[in-house]
Amino acid sequence: MASVVRMPEVLANVTEAAVANWLVQKGQTVAVGAPLAEVETEKAVVEYAAEVEGTVLDLLVEEGQSVAVGEPIAVIGAPGEESSEAAPSGDAGIAGGAEPPVAADRAAIDEQAAAPEPETAPEAAASPVAGAPTALGAPHEGSGGAEEGGRRAVSPIVRRLARERGVDLARVPGTGPDGRVVRRDLERFLAGQPEPQEAPEPAAEPAPAPQRSAAPEPSRAAAPDAARFDEVPLTGMRRAIARRLTESKTTVPHFYVVGDVRMDALLDLRAQLNDGGDVRVSVNDLLVKAAAGAFKRVPDANATWAGTAIHRHRTVDVSIAVAIEGGLLTPVLRDVGSRSIGDVATASAELIDRARQGRLKQAELEGGAFSISNLGMHGVKEFSAIINPPQSAILAVGAASARPVVEDGRIEVRRVMTVTLSADHRVIDGALAAQWLAAFTDLVEHPMRILL
Amino acid sequence: MPKRSRLDPAVDWIRLETTDEDWKAADPGLLTGMLAELHLIRAFEETVLELAGEGLVHGPAHSSIGQEGGAVGSIIGLRSADGVNGSHRGHHQFLAKALTHVSGGRFDTGALVPDEVDTVLQRTLAEILGLAQGFCRGRGGSMHLQWFEAGALGTNAIVGGGVPMGAGNAWAQRHAGTSDLTMSYFGDGAVNIGSVLETMNLAAAWRLPFGFFIENNLYAVSTTVQEVTGEARLSGRGPGFGIPAWQVDGMDPLAVHLATEEAAERMRAGDGPAVIEAEVYRFFHQNGPYPGSAFGYRPKDEETSWRGRDPIERVTRQLLDLGAMTQQEADGVREQAVQAMRDVASRLVEPDPESDGKRRIRPDLWPDPAFVDVGIRGDASELEGVRTLEPLDHDGETRSGRFVDAVAGVMQHRMEQDERIVVLGEDVHRLNGGTNGATKGLAKAFPDRVLGTPISENAFVGLGGGMALDGRFRPVVEFMYPDFLWVAADQVFNQIGKARHMFGGDNPVPLVLRTKVAMGSGYGSQHLMDPAGVFATSVGWRIVAPSTAADYVGLMNTALDLQDPVLVIEHIDLYPLTEDVPVDLDYRLPLGKAAVRRSGDDVTVLTYLSMVRHALEAVEQTGVDAEVIDLRWLDRASFDWDTVGESIKRTNAVLIVEQGAQGTSYGGWLADEVQRRFFDWLDQPVQRVTGSEASPSISKVLERAAIARTEEVVAGLERVVAGMGER
Repeated sequence: MASVVRMPEVLANVTEAAVANWLVQKGQTVAVGAPLAEVETEKAVVEYAAEVEGTVLDLLVEEGQSVAVGEPIAVIGAPGEESSEAAPSGDAGIAGGAEPPVAADRAAIDEQAAAPEPETAPEAAASPVAGAPTALGAPHEGSGGAEEGGRRAVSPIVRRLARERGVDLARVPGTGPDGRVVRRDLERFLAGQPEPQEAPEPAAEPAPAPQRSAAPEPSRAAAPDAARFDEVPLTGMRRAIARRLTESKTTVPHFYVVGDVRMDALLDLRAQLNDGGDVRVSVNDLLVKAAAGAFKRVPDANATWAGTAIHRHRTVDVSIAVAIEGGLLTPVLRDVGSRSIGDVATASAELIDRARQGRLKQAELEGGAFSISNLGMHGVKEFSAIINPPQSAILAVGAASARPVVEDGRIEVRRVMTVTLSADHRVIDGALAAQWLAAFTDLVEHPMRILL
Repeated sequence: MPKRSRLDPAVDWIRLETTDEDWKAADPGLLTGMLAELHLIRAFEETVLELAGEGLVHGPAHSSIGQEGGAVGSIIGLRSADGVNGSHRGHHQFLAKALTHVSGGRFDTGALVPDEVDTVLQRTLAEILGLAQGFCRGRGGSMHLQWFEAGALGTNAIVGGGVPMGAGNAWAQRHAGTSDLTMSYFGDGAVNIGSVLETMNLAAAWRLPFGFFIENNLYAVSTTVQEVTGEARLSGRGPGFGIPAWQVDGMDPLAVHLATEEAAERMRAGDGPAVIEAEVYRFFHQNGPYPGSAFGYRPKDEETSWRGRDPIERVTRQLLDLGAMTQQEADGVREQAVQAMRDVASRLVEPDPESDGKRRIRPDLWPDPAFVDVGIRGDASELEGVRTLEPLDHDGETRSGRFVDAVAGVMQHRMEQDERIVVLGEDVHRLNGGTNGATKGLAKAFPDRVLGTPISENAFVGLGGGMALDGRFRPVVEFMYPDFLWVAADQVFNQIGKARHMFGGDNPVPLVLRTKVAMGSGYGSQHLMDPAGVFATSVGWRIVAPSTAADYVGLMNTALDLQDPVLVIEHIDLYPLTEDVPVDLDYRLPLGKAAVRRSGDDVTVLTYLSMVRHALEAVEQTGVDAEVIDLRWLDRASFDWDTVGESIKRTNAVLIVEQGAQGTSYGGWLADEVQRRFFDWLDQPVQRVTGSEASPSISKVLERAAIARTEEVVAGLERVVAGMGER
């Protein structure tokens, strides 16, 4: 008896999802727990595993195609069924050979339609990957325990904490034994950290020494291309970066304004500040503070696109891009405008530190209208950055270097830095961006005003 | 042709019968007292059977009707300070002791039942009915009757089970410098059981003032004595152990009395134990109101013939013949006894308003169900005000020495301070401190208080239990290997562990049982268990398992203070370790306080004894940030849930680490408690490290494979890490 695989409700209240990639092919035999597809919603890409074993008889949606949750996406024949019903691949007859599986599909789909509404089961609805139960038969012996029958294993402490903090567990991937959602998963979720790279061992036996230290070993692909590259599996963070920045670059109308800023006064000020001070102030801290000052002067720029409206922000919250192993994070410094430079420096150092330790909370990664990305320490002269959605601007900061500058008709050598503001034209028009950049430049070049 | 010469027992084996001269010579007051007690017991037993017939006695009612003569004849001459204990058929023994205690064995035939006698009858019947006003608050019922004040040490439902404890009472009587004695009653069925035979040997070896009173009623339920022994003259058991023996007609209370007098003279003089075999006959079946013939195992004419020798009729006839009593007086004794029991019963039962013509227990007399667990052990109030010391925080003077020397050292120190402490066990007095040196120096310092025992764990631990119940001494019993608990299981678990609760919850049982875990020593399948699990899942025992010498001192001191049986577990791996111990050996470790040996946030490791070190090593090797808690106190009542709970709420993961075999392991009950108390705090199942299923073998390789050490804890920690998900 064939089973229909339906689009799972990957996240609560998500009505539609796409098959990003099929991970199986027609005719392929799958075991319970084997990945079938990467299912993508607006917020997540989730590997969706088979809940029954058998042969893939048909894939009903194409990669990239969005369908409503609950729609059939594939048909899996019961073990043994392939011998009689699965079409042998290739040249087994264009008409006759292809027909039977489709008939089997229809029968299975009809039967499913007559079955009770699967979505009413609360546990199924709460599960990100199990979705609507699709298996028609009893669970198979030896099937992956945690998610068998649509039930998802969640450790008791996680259930309690999730209840207390109002976390929807359906959104928390489980990495414990058999996919159990364990405390670390919840903590990672709360910290907004991406999920780990590897699917958990289907550990029937206790795992030997924990091997979690490094990134996964690149595996030699079995394909003929194997000799030409090593395949590195995607990490959750990598997926998130890919998804979010693709979305940004393709949907947000970026434009750029570039300026040169003389840094001598600011660098002198920084030297004075750090001379015997308790707190070590970085160039970036001063730039963050200058950016906040610029928004104070040009408040219309401190706004974000919200689809049906524009949100004008009441405080200046500045995200700072922090490179970490395997990717980057953008923790938010809150209300920079009303904080002292020392306070900003301390808070910034602390956020960067925790970002590198992977100990940021989700809330610390959310909000703000603006980011600063500084590659100056790597000697970059200038670059342009992609806006970090849903923000509306990002300032790309290059290295300060000694350059000839014409002042009062004379050539002087000054330390100059090139900055590039990327702005979302839906919110910020060209003139507004120019005003902001002028204000920023003025503050950097007269840095005592930053401290006011 | 070998030369053969006849050997005779070193002691007498005598049949004693009365003559008319003896009856004439007997004190008429004694004979009247016998008749009074016989009638009171008979009327009492008839009442019990009547109530049993109405379904008002829960459980068996083992009637003593027919065999009262043995108990009355032997007990009426005893002092209140003399002890008796008895068997499942023990109403008559208990009543004879209690009635003799309140009456001195003298009764006024015109006013047979003064208030104190009435009270004894009522509280005894109440106990048999399971009511709160009973001698044991209704807990003991028919088979567990105890009244310490009267010297009634407790009847026993395990055949022969009370005998070792009785010997302990006798030991205490003798070593307290009294001439009191203890008589233990048991039947022909019990005479072949180990508890009795082991105790005969021990009592004779130690010349205890202890009487083995065999009520030979010819049937162990339906099995005849001839079927089960080659020597049906059961008093013959005595001479083989060097114990003089008397055989008497138990239907003749005076004969029993005279034999007891002779035996008691020896016992009180310090000449050692005696065996008295009284031939008696129960008129009814094992229990209930029907004769044995109704069940087909004995003929009616045998019953008729024994009924013709009813001890009540015998004493009545003799009193009438002597002119010491009139028939009218004799009838009056019977009538008063019957009336007294009618009155007693009417105070305990009433007409059942819901069932015409039937009676029921007066509802207000039942115990409160909330009383069910009260008094399993003491409330530890005896520890109030003792000076405690936490070795972890101690910064005073310490002395370096071997763990095993601290074991012997603290005992020597306590024995100097507390004369009540007595050490007993196999070889504890020789070999310079027993097999491991754990009692080193004690025998030299206290030759009378360090007792090398015969190889009979059941008898000597039971004897310790009897000493503890007496209360004048503090026995410290050693089992050379923990597995011997199975040999002694009846005394350890049925008797010592339950004694306080079963008899009403008030009488303390201050006994320390020491034993050493020897896994790794190659002693094989029958010597290498960890006893913690078995004791922790048995009622009544407290358990300590010290992992350091400093803890050992403090825990042993607390164990010796406690009014409860305490198992002190040692480990041979710890004995040779050199450690620092506070110089002053008087400090106590507080009851129920665990020690955090390493703080950590990832997993709570619960362990004890030698495995504490292995756990710390494993944590070091794996780098897991584990919190290692040395439990110290392992029993349900003394467990440190505060420390453990605080830790689990932080780590959300638990690894229980022990060394021994899975089946009898300690962690089972603990895992159960942990998951129920802290379910919502757990991030993964409670994990366990134990040995394998098998008991450790002698082969070095197989033994290592059967037990847990550092490597197994490492594996356990790795399981925990795997359960934590991806970092």
